Amino acid sequence: MLMPRRVRHRKQQRGRMSGQAKGGTEVTFGDFGIQALEPGWITARQIEAARIAMTRHVKRGGKVWIRVFPDKPVTKKPAETRMGSGKGNPELWVAVVKPGRIMFELAGVDQALAKAAMERAIQKLPIRAKFVVRPGSHGTPEVQL
Amino acid sequence: MSEITLTAKTDRETGTRATRRLRREGLIPAVVYGHGMDPVAIAVNGPDLRVALNGEAGLNQLIELNADGKSYLVLAKVLQRHPVRGTLQHVDFQITSRDETVTVEVPITVVGDAVEVRHAGGAVDQQVYTISVSARPGNIPTNIDVDISHLQPGDIFRVADLVLPDGVVAAGEPETAVAIAHGARAAEAEGGEGAEAAESAEA
Repeated sequence: MLMPRRVRHRKQQRGRMSGQAKGGTEVTFGDFGIQALEPGWITARQIEAARIAMTRHVKRGGKVWIRVFPDKPVTKKPAETRMGSGKGNPELWVAVVKPGRIMFELAGVDQALAKAAMERAIQKLPIRAKFVVRPGSHGTPEVQL
Repeated sequence: MSEITLTAKTDRETGTRATRRLRREGLIPAVVYGHGMDPVAIAVNGPDLRVALNGEAGLNQLIELNADGKSYLVLAKVLQRHPVRGTLQHVDFQITSRDETVTVEVPITVVGDAVEVRHAGGAVDQQVYTISVSARPGNIPTNIDVDISHLQPGDIFRVADLVLPDGVVAAGEPETAVAIAHGARAAEAEGGEGAEAAESAEA
């Protein structure tokens, strides 16, 4: 699973996820992508599950890019613990995703197969997301109104 | 390349609310600059702009912009899209002339079948989808074809290997890889890594 090798601070505050993605909103490396439609935390486990769902459906020939990285630690208090006594221990890593963010990209397969593979991957994610095609490729217009 | 004529409105208000009103009316806010003139905020008709930029020349379409009685020969330099909807939000038009060299991004299309690579069980991996070229506005190619049929496993097709039309020069690094032909071992290694990761996830 993806996680940082080394971090400066073990624990982080939760933060807010208002607004839309500022960058990473265009399909850059491949032909197809999965775009987030809601804000959310995507765990390293969910990223890995989505990647596996996609690569298994494609079987061979395709190339996958993961455009998000889970660099935020999430802490949890142990079960049946009384409140207080400080913040819990880091348990998982998440990527903070805002609407518009391209989370995965795929290339080297035809559009129908890519759509089917990415729809399987979307099922593994905790937020609403959609399949997108790079503008100007596969009959998609460069400009939409 | 023949130009498309667009009519622009020059007296548009700037600011968030005025710009949103413009978009609701079917206009696209834009700005025109270049050749030492002060930038001018304009608005162009959305459907007309869509027709212009979705043509054969794509985003490198030469446009004759009629604004306030003046005519400018322009290229769309920057397009701002909505992060979720992907709709056009704003366009930067740069003034150009027929005899000056401009640098633009031209799409690359991989053509042909890399028979040797396929027989070896490998695959050709396209690295870039556009290339930066310098040319006069009339000579900008709509598309650059990359013939991969002669590639052998392990070969790299670089920018320097591209066959460009007369009057067109690649502006980027000549060593940049356009397409890489992976042999069977590389393909297997990628598959193996994925399968291994999949197994570990299942465990």
